Order: sequence, then C-alpha cells, then structure tokens
Amino acid sequence: MQQFFQALMTGLADGSIYASLALALVLIYKATEVINFAQGEMAMFTTYIAYALLTHPHFGHTLSFWPAFFVTLVIAFVFGVGLQRVVIKPLEHASVLTVVMATIALLVILNGLAAWIWSPELKFFPSPFPTSTWVVGGVHISKQDTGVFGVTLACVAVLWLFFRFTKLGLAMRAGAVNPVAARLLGVRTSWLLALGWGFAAVLGAVSGMMSAPTNFLSPSMMQAVLIFAFAGAILGGLESPVGAVVGGLGLGVLLSMLGTYVHPVTPELRLPVALLILLVVLLIRPAGIFGRVVVRRV
Amino acid sequence: MRLRWGYLGFALLVVAVIVAPLVSTNYRTFQLAFVGIYLIALLGLNILTGFTGQISLGHGAFMGIGAYATTILVVDHGWNDLLTLPVAGIVAGLAGLAFGLPATRFAGPYLALATFAIPLSFIGVLKRFPHFTGGTLGKQLPSLHSQFGIDANPSVWIYWVSWIVALAMFLLAYALVRGRFGRALRSVRDSEIAATASGVSTSGIKCAAFGISAFFCGVAGGLFAIAVTYVNPDTFPIDLSILLLVGIVLGGAGSLSGMIFGALFVEFIRITWGPALLDLFSQVHHINTRAPGSSLVVYGVVLLLVLYAAPAGAAGLVRRLVTGRAAVAAWAKQDRTPADEQA
Amino acid sequence: MKRTFLLLSAAALASAAVVVTAGAAPSATPGVTAKTILLEGTFPLSGPASGYAPIPVGMDAYFKYVNAKGGVNGRKITWKYEDDGYNPANTVQLTHKFVEQDHAFALVGGLGTEPQLPVRQYLNDNKVPQLFVSTGATTFDRDWQQYPWTLGWQPDYEAEGAIYGKYVVKNFPTAKLGVLYQNDDYGNDYLRGLNAGLTKAHQTQIVAKAAYDLGTGAPAAQVARLKASGADTFVIFATPTPTIQGYVVATKLGWKPAHVITNSVSATDSFLTLATKSGSDITNGTLSVGYTLDPSNPVYNKQPGMKLYRQIMAKYAPKQNANDGLNLYGVAKAWTTVQALQAAGKNLTRAGLMAAARKMAYTPGKKNANPFLLPGVSIFTRGNFQYPISQVTIIQYQDHVFQPVGSLIAGRGALR
Repeated sequence: MQQFFQALMTGLADGSIYASLALALVLIYKATEVINFAQGEMAMFTTYIAYALLTHPHFGHTLSFWPAFFVTLVIAFVFGVGLQRVVIKPLEHASVLTVVMATIALLVILNGLAAWIWSPELKFFPSPFPTSTWVVGGVHISKQDTGVFGVTLACVAVLWLFFRFTKLGLAMRAGAVNPVAARLLGVRTSWLLALGWGFAAVLGAVSGMMSAPTNFLSPSMMQAVLIFAFAGAILGGLESPVGAVVGGLGLGVLLSMLGTYVHPVTPELRLPVALLILLVVLLIRPAGIFGRVVVRRV
Repeated sequence: MRLRWGYLGFALLVVAVIVAPLVSTNYRTFQLAFVGIYLIALLGLNILTGFTGQISLGHGAFMGIGAYATTILVVDHGWNDLLTLPVAGIVAGLAGLAFGLPATRFAGPYLALATFAIPLSFIGVLKRFPHFTGGTLGKQLPSLHSQFGIDANPSVWIYWVSWIVALAMFLLAYALVRGRFGRALRSVRDSEIAATASGVSTSGIKCAAFGISAFFCGVAGGLFAIAVTYVNPDTFPIDLSILLLVGIVLGGAGSLSGMIFGALFVEFIRITWGPALLDLFSQVHHINTRAPGSSLVVYGVVLLLVLYAAPAGAAGLVRRLVTGRAAVAAWAKQDRTPADEQA
Repeated sequence: MKRTFLLLSAAALASAAVVVTAGAAPSATPGVTAKTILLEGTFPLSGPASGYAPIPVGMDAYFKYVNAKGGVNGRKITWKYEDDGYNPANTVQLTHKFVEQDHAFALVGGLGTEPQLPVRQYLNDNKVPQLFVSTGATTFDRDWQQYPWTLGWQPDYEAEGAIYGKYVVKNFPTAKLGVLYQNDDYGNDYLRGLNAGLTKAHQTQIVAKAAYDLGTGAPAAQVARLKASGADTFVIFATPTPTIQGYVVATKLGWKPAHVITNSVSATDSFLTLATKSGSDITNGTLSVGYTLDPSNPVYNKQPGMKLYRQIMAKYAPKQNANDGLNLYGVAKAWTTVQALQAAGKNLTRAGLMAAARKMAYTPGKKNANPFLLPGVSIFTRGNFQYPISQVTIIQYQDHVFQPVGSLIAGRGALR
C-alpha cells in the first residue's frame, strides 16, 4: 500500500508538470498548427529568471518564493508575447516546416544563452513546500509531490476559467477555430497568436518552477520533460486542451506505476516505454484519445 | 535546352569535387569528406520530408544503424569497409521500411513524435545488447587508410570515397524523383486525399519513402563510421537528427541540388563558422569566446537569420532570383486558399 | 533546370570559398617556435557534460601564471581549447584540426573516455602526444605499450572502486551493499573495481545492484529496489545529478543506510549541500576518496598550494567560482604539464615530452610534489608503472567538510 500511494503521488506530481507543458504545446498548436519545440527551453529560461529574482538583490533585497513565482509568471507572459512578435511573426507566410525550424533555432539559442549567462553547473532551486511527509495510516505521502500537483492544477484551472468565462478567452478560442470569421467580427487575430504564446510561456514557467526543486536547475533540465509533455499531448489529442491535461497526468501515473511494479521495465526504459504506449494508443486512435480526425479540403 | 542546364550544373559540381582537394589542406579535405557524407543523408531525408512531406526527427538513427552495421562487419567479421556500404544501406533501409509500415497511420506532428522514438529506441537497443554493439563504450574501427595500392593521405582517400558515393547517390535520387514515382511522392505531400482519389497508394508511398530515405542515411552512416573510426551511442545523438532537418530546410525542402548547401552548413557551422564568428565578434566587443553555450547561441542565431533571409532555403532564394517573384514554398500550407490570403 | 545549374554552381563556388584557407606551414617540430609552445585540447563546453567546463579554464589560468614568470625554458605556452560537446565525431574532427591545421605540439587534458578513445589511434599513428587525458578510464594508463603516445593523469576508476572494496572488507566486513551505478563504462569501471577490491570471498556483500541511465530523471525506482533488498550500505557510482537525486530519494523513501559510499567525482561539498538542501538527511558520514586539495573545505586554506591557487584564480580567472574544485583540478593538471615540458628540455620534441612524462617523480620525499594535490600524494611514472596519480585518501563528509580518514591508500600498490 505504501508503495502504491507513493508511486501514485509521484506519478501525479510528475504528471502535472507534464500536463502543464503539454497544455502549452496544445495552446500554440491549436492556433498555428506548429509544434513549438522551444516550449521546454522557454520554461527553463523563465525558471532561471525566477532563480535570479530569488538569489540576486534587486532594489536592495531578494524576493521570497511566492512573490518571485508570480513576478516570473508576468515576465514569462511578456517574454512569450515578445518571442512571438519578434521571432515567429516574420515567418508567418512561410511553410510549417520553416516555422518549426525557427522554434528549433529558438530552442538552441535559449539553451546556449542560459548556459552562457548562468553557467551550466547544477544549481539549487528552492521549493515552497516542505520536504517532509505526511504519515496517513502508515503511508508516507510527500508534501512536495502534493504541493506540486496542487499548484500546477490550480494554474491550469485558472487558465481554463479564463478561456471559458472572459471575453478575451472567447476571442482567443474563436480566433483558433475560424480566424477569418473572427477577423470579420472585429477580433485582432494576429495579436491573439501573441497572447497564445504568452499564456503558453506562463504554463511553461509553472512547469519549470515546479520541476526545478527535484530535478535541479540546469540548462538541460526540461529536455526530458518536453518529450513526456509532447507524448502526453499527443496521447490526449493535440487539438484538445482537456486531452493534454489528462494525457500528461495519465502518462505520469502510468510511468510511475510501471517503473515501480513491473520489473522488466527497468527505469532506464521509461522514455522508450512511454513512446511505445503512445504508438499503441495512436494505432488504435490515430488522433489521440480526445482528438477528432479532421478531414482536410482538397 | 532545359535539360542541358542541369547536366552542365552537375558537371560543374564534378569539376569542383575534383579540384577541391588539390587546393586545400588535408584537414579541409577531411571536412569536405563529411560534407559529402551529409549530402547523402540529406538527399535521403529530403525524399521523405521535402518530396513526400513527412517530417522525421529520427533519421540520425538510420545513419547510426548503417554505421553500426559497417562497424560490426568490419571489426567482428573482417569485411572490407567499402563493401559494407551497400549492406549498411540495406539494413537501415529495412529498418526504415519496418518503421514506415505502422507509421503511415500517423500524420504531421503525430508522425514527428513517433519518429522521435527511433533514435531513442536505437540507443536503448545499443545499450541492451552490449556484446553485439559494444554498449556505451562502442566499437573502434581500424585507422583510416587508403586501399587498392593507392598511396594517399587518409583524409584525401575518404574524401574521394565519400564523394564518389555521394555523386552516385545524387544521380540515384534524381532518377527516383523524376517520373511517376516522384510525382506520386509529391502528390502525397500536397494533398493526400487528392492523391488517393487519383489512385496513388499513400501508405505505400510513405512506406517506400521511409525505406528509401533510411537506405540513403544508412550508406551515409557507414561512410561516417569509416571516417570517424569509432561508433558509440554518443556519436548519434538527437542533435544529429535535428541537424539533418536543419540542413534540409536551409538547402530547400524539395530541392536536390539545394542539399549541397545544407550539407555545407551542417558540417561547418558547429566546428568552423560558429567559433570563427565568435572570434570575429570578439574583435569588436570582447567576449569570452569559449564560454559554455556560446557556440550554441551563435548556431541558433545564424540559423534564424538564414531562415528570415531564405525561408524556403537556398533553393527558394535561387527560385526567387530566377523567377523574380516570391517563391511558392514547396510546402504550401494545406488549408489556406488564395481567398484566405486576402482576408 | 536553370535553377539546378545555378544552385550547383553556387554550391561549387561556396565550396571554393570554404576550401581555400592558408594552413600554417609545419615547422621542424610542429607547435614549437623560438618563443611559443602550442597546446590544445577538446572539452565539452556545451551539452549535458558541460559541467566540466571549468577544467580548461583552470588550466588556462595556470599557464598564464607560468607565462608571466617567463614561461618554460624561455617559451610561452599558447593554450587553446575547443568544444566537442562530448560527441566523439566532433572530437575526431577537432583533433584532425589540431594536428593538421593548427600543428599543435601536444594535446593535453582531452576530456571524456568516449571522446578520447577514437582519437587515440590517430594520435599514436601520427606520433602526437595525447597527454594527461581527463578521464579515469583505466585503459589510458594500462595500455601504454600499445599506445606509447597516450597517458592518463588522475587515479583510475577501477582503482578507486577497488579501494572502496578493500575499505569495506577491512572496516565493515558484514555490511550489506546496495550499489547504484551508472549504466556505462564509468559506472561499470567502478563496479568492476569494487568487485576486485572485495575479493571473491566478500563479493556476496553486494546484495543488490541497480543500473541507471543518464538522462532518465531521478533514480527513484532503483533506490527503492536497493532499500527493499535490506542493504545497509548505499554505494553510489554515478555522475553528480543522479547522485544527488539518489540521496534525496533515499530520504523520501525513509531509507537510512548505516554507511554511504559515493564516488569522488560526485562527492563534493557543493553537490552534497545541494542534496541536503533538497531534503536528504544521509549526506553526513558519506565516504569517498580525494587526491586534490578541496577549495570548498576551509581546513586546507593554510596549505601553500591553496593560497597559490586562490592567487592565480583571482588574477587570471577572476570571474570563475574559485570554490569549484574543477578549476583546481585544471590548475593541478597544468602544473604537471609544465613540469613535463620543463623536464623535456630546451630542445623540445614530442618524443622528448613523452619520455619526460613517462619518467615523472614529483614526490613529497623529493620535496617537489604537486602543491595542488593532497599532502603526501605523488605523481610517479617509471618503466612498467604508468599510473601518474594512484594514491588517494579516504575522506568522510561531516557538516560541509571532508575530513581525511586514515592515511593515504595506494590504489595500485607501492610506488617503485
């Protein structure tokens, strides 16, 4: 039992980190059909910004965790909007392959820049949650894991509320579904793309800051997370935000359970196993669990 | 008249290939040998990505499969290294077909992620069977040396071997993309539904494209192993697959001759141009040219700048120069009609 | 078709542009002029292994220091290093560049087992010194007869593993060992050494082994398995990140092994502090081995070598974190290089340098020991014995400081 709950909580914590990044990927993909390969590095870079806020005095003092967290989210939003306007927009008439390549260039630049500015050695990133455990009926439940799960899901929920209940959220959804009609109704679609990148960057920052305490801060810390997030997003269906969250969480839990209980699945096989699961699911449901197959016009 | 321009261009290329080692240092010749090797890989990947429209993030692994095939045959079975090249190609090609069969159900980013599984599984397999593959330590090949009684510097030798194969593969690729097969490839890229309606078996074409592109990469991988004299999992990281894709885009997806630019970029950017650019910049404004990460930043920035200048690659640039108007990208956005453009 | 022609001709011209470079004309002894010596090396400055980047910077600082004092036998050292990203294919190309274009005198400090292995044959074929490689893989020291131009420097991993084995047999003969090891030659070298040191009689002390692959996240399931086996000694043979995570996971799972043994690369105060801050409570008491001075340990501040090290870093590499022991590793290695160059004489040849490197005796007895190594450690090579540094001390971590436990242990027997 102990092992089961431990594995479950770890799986949910990992899964929520994947889910947040997966949602970021889906946000951008829904609007532009481009997979933003730089999503992980954007998350890493904004986490380094949080690190700088936490450790270097600005205006005389350093920030404590939660103020730094929220300031970073704001900075991440601006960062995301800025990247879309400056780097991606000039290529809006180019082919999908070219835009994907631009996101890859961004990935490389951010990775190198983080190492250049802050040096590649491992750094400690504080966690707002205590590292102790609750003992419930003889089972150790990690406060860290629960905290990560809670915070990440809270951010995702806030975003969902935004999209569902505000005018701007409605406009963004409209712009993604039918840009021509949206434009006719007065929606400034080109800025919607920028906003989409902004929100995606925020989700990435949450993912990064929740992941850094356990995985330590380093330029390559989000690389594995990106792959799992990508897999989770596809598992859930790339056009479905709900799918991204469910897919990310599900993948995290599934991998944690497999790693703990199924001994031939040694932990170094985590990633290939994830992809194998993915391939099997896609063979049965090619558009992911929640996706719909879209028929294209000829 | 039209045909002759192409042949003239090819002849010029052959002349350049012959002249280059005569005017350059051994080290430069060694680097140009790698240009030839990457050219073979890019030609193959282009057939899949540029002509059939399927993005692959895993073709570095097919190079790896070819490299290991060559290595195992040479080191464990005493084969002559050049004779292993067709086998390397075929082994990789079969692996490509094996992947292609189920993969035809996927499209776009789904396929991209699925292809990502290839290098990961490849590395996993390498580590799972260390008796066969040497595990993380890999295998060492014999030193590079000239054969058939020719006495030449090893760098010059591998240059010639690579370019003779590269030129032959270029002609092969050209033959493949002309005619019905090529049209079938392009029809799948441009519109799968229309292609199916016209009687093209899209899954068959995609499968064939995977197999053929893997074959090319396998041959390139075998040459790579011979040149580097060593294979191990670190030699074929994900970066390689991404670098190949970069080469395709910068050369011009859908253009065979553009791949030469792609290959030049892939070979020279990390090792030569990047550090040279940093040193140049350092003259103007002093920076630590060996700071960790600096080479990556230069590589990424150069890549972006080239993308802005030539979104359809070198081929797109040339097309623009020749036709005098903005290129229609080989990869048109699927659901945008002219009416959409004007909205 | 016109397009093809244009493209191909442009490509031909582009090749011409990259091809025509003036290579330096090789002098009688490549890399040596009347006033300079050119040394080069490849290091991972980008990618997952870029944590080792301080090493060539430390070397650079020490070479600058020596140059300021007049250099070696009247020549100043020019030290250049390039990034190979830990990819052997890049290492091969860069090494060709060093030898055929730059005409370096010697390659020094090349980092990484896999990157340095493929160039070993090439460098030996071309009779270029591959000196003091930055890796503990035993083959670089052991196979000197086959590769006369190649030499290691640091204590090799197998010897280190054997030392742990011997220490366990002597001090905890009934302990149950759970070994977390990295699934590559690094981890396997250590494991092999451990088995050898334990000797057949005691190999049964290992009750569980768990392999870990770099880049797959925290080794949670592996540590869980070690705990479940009932082991009371946690042995970690992994690079820093998974080591730290191993400590943290152990505490999360409520495992409190009586002893923890961690390999030297990962046993530094900065890494263990990271582990403690992240929640581990088993870092105190960690056993490891050391052979260099540790700049993060104030107990060494009075050592003349430490004072010199800090002066050199402050003057020639002020932006570096001088408490990072990798800088000191580089300084110590550069010191060794300078000694070997000095011993090779004014009439400098590559063969002369190798001969000098294979006959080193920098020992406390002769009062010429490397000041940057632990007091008592010698650098010694002679005849059949080609392991430059083979002595270590067992050290134990307590409250941010590693204290030596017992005396120096010779990992490969007495120095003859």
